[in-house]
Amino acid sequence: MQIALILIVIVVLIAVLMYNSLIGKKNQVENIFAGMDAILKKRFDLIPNLVASVSQYMEHEKSTLEKVTQLRTQAMRPNLSDEQKITLDAKLSSALGAITIAMEAYPDLKANENVMHLQRSLNEVEEQISAARRAYNQSVTDFNNAIEMFPTNIMAGWMNLQRRAVFEITVMERQNVDVGALFNR
Amino acid sequence: MKSTSELTDFYYKELYGNLNELEKVRLQILSQLKWYGGMGLVVFILFAIWMGKNFGLFHPFSMAIVIGFIALAGMFYRSMTQEYAKDFKTKVITPLINAIDPHLLYNPDFMISQHLFERSNLFPHSIDRYSGNDYVKGSIDGVPLEFSDIHAEYQTKDSKGRTQWHTLFRGLFLVAEFNKYFKAKTVILPDQAEKSFGTLIGGWLQSHNFSRDDLIRLDDPAFEKAFVVYGNDPIEARYILSHSMMKRLLEFQKKVSYPLFISFVHNHIHVGIATKKDLFEPTIFTSLLDYKQAMEYINTLRYTIGIVEELKLNERLWSKA
Repeated sequence: MQIALILIVIVVLIAVLMYNSLIGKKNQVENIFAGMDAILKKRFDLIPNLVASVSQYMEHEKSTLEKVTQLRTQAMRPNLSDEQKITLDAKLSSALGAITIAMEAYPDLKANENVMHLQRSLNEVEEQISAARRAYNQSVTDFNNAIEMFPTNIMAGWMNLQRRAVFEITVMERQNVDVGALFNR
Repeated sequence: MKSTSELTDFYYKELYGNLNELEKVRLQILSQLKWYGGMGLVVFILFAIWMGKNFGLFHPFSMAIVIGFIALAGMFYRSMTQEYAKDFKTKVITPLINAIDPHLLYNPDFMISQHLFERSNLFPHSIDRYSGNDYVKGSIDGVPLEFSDIHAEYQTKDSKGRTQWHTLFRGLFLVAEFNKYFKAKTVILPDQAEKSFGTLIGGWLQSHNFSRDDLIRLDDPAFEKAFVVYGNDPIEARYILSHSMMKRLLEFQKKVSYPLFISFVHNHIHVGIATKKDLFEPTIFTSLLDYKQAMEYINTLRYTIGIVEELKLNERLWSKA
């Protein structure tokens, strides 16, 4: 009788620990996603400024600038799902990357202190976003591992927890890093 | 900044006169040391024989005499080399630092403040004795930095009530401004646990370290192998530790070859290089003109001051002006 009682207590204890660790991991993913959302908003705030100060110089780049503005409007719509946010964010990143590359062809821009400051702020935000993505990917990996590995997978099945998607780093973004280095020359 | 070979040239050409002068003093001290050392040894042996006959060698009184003798010898040694050490710092280390950058200030008796050392969050332990010397302050490529030798200790009492001193950190401690804004605390330590217990158990131990913030796992396997990172903001930790920064820190670790303790707190980078010895001190038993010795002074200064270039702290790609 007593042994059975002890066994039940142990099983309950393990179940509680597993449940809590899964919830902890799920919340960590959400927490980091919220942190990333805040940084993405920072980028949304920068874009109109950048577009406004750059557009008078970059006559030939009108379509790219319009695309950025359009993407920003789309990404700022309320009630977007996490997946939609992730895709729009990736598109915005590559469009902004295209602007940065195009800026290389306009020496006047480099002489403009205001544009240079915006460029530096954008660099900063881009790096913060990249950091947030890496943090998010790590937390998602931890979470996915937990819901797929034994024995937490059984508990995760009862709790109806689903695998989450990690961010994919696009080829364009890898180029961004190089552009940053070019800029410093 | 001057290259190592330029500094070596400077050491042997410009400082040759000073080095020669000091070398003479060194040889004089050495011969005196040999003479007094020999005399001391003879006296000590005679005394030991006499003590052994009268009290026995392991009598508390004999032990006290031995300890007293060692302390006396230490004091004697220090008083004999004090002037020489001071001369060495003004005639060799000061010009060497000026050659690296004329705007750097050097004070042989001063040290990094205990406040900065504690702020780094690298050694979360109370400090009972804090000392240091060879303080350098200035800015390299517009990046303010300061460093010095530091010896931080704490004491414990054993079961018999005797105090014991333990070294918390001994080596070079550097603080420099970092080129990105951040609010969180990020601490990077040498990876002891994973080295001694393997990835599985070591990793578990690291994630359950209660004296530290949360464990942060990074996406660079080589970096993860060499270091363990704790921080209170996973996003900011990765913002500071970009892929290129992790690579640079690894490169720096390879160059330095002593355990590295690095933290990012309060918009500053704090670096502790645990050399476990007092740096920039003159040698007594080897020549100051010895190439290996010269390289140690030059390399230590170069990699410490070169940290700005090495970690690209002077890069102004971000909004922080």
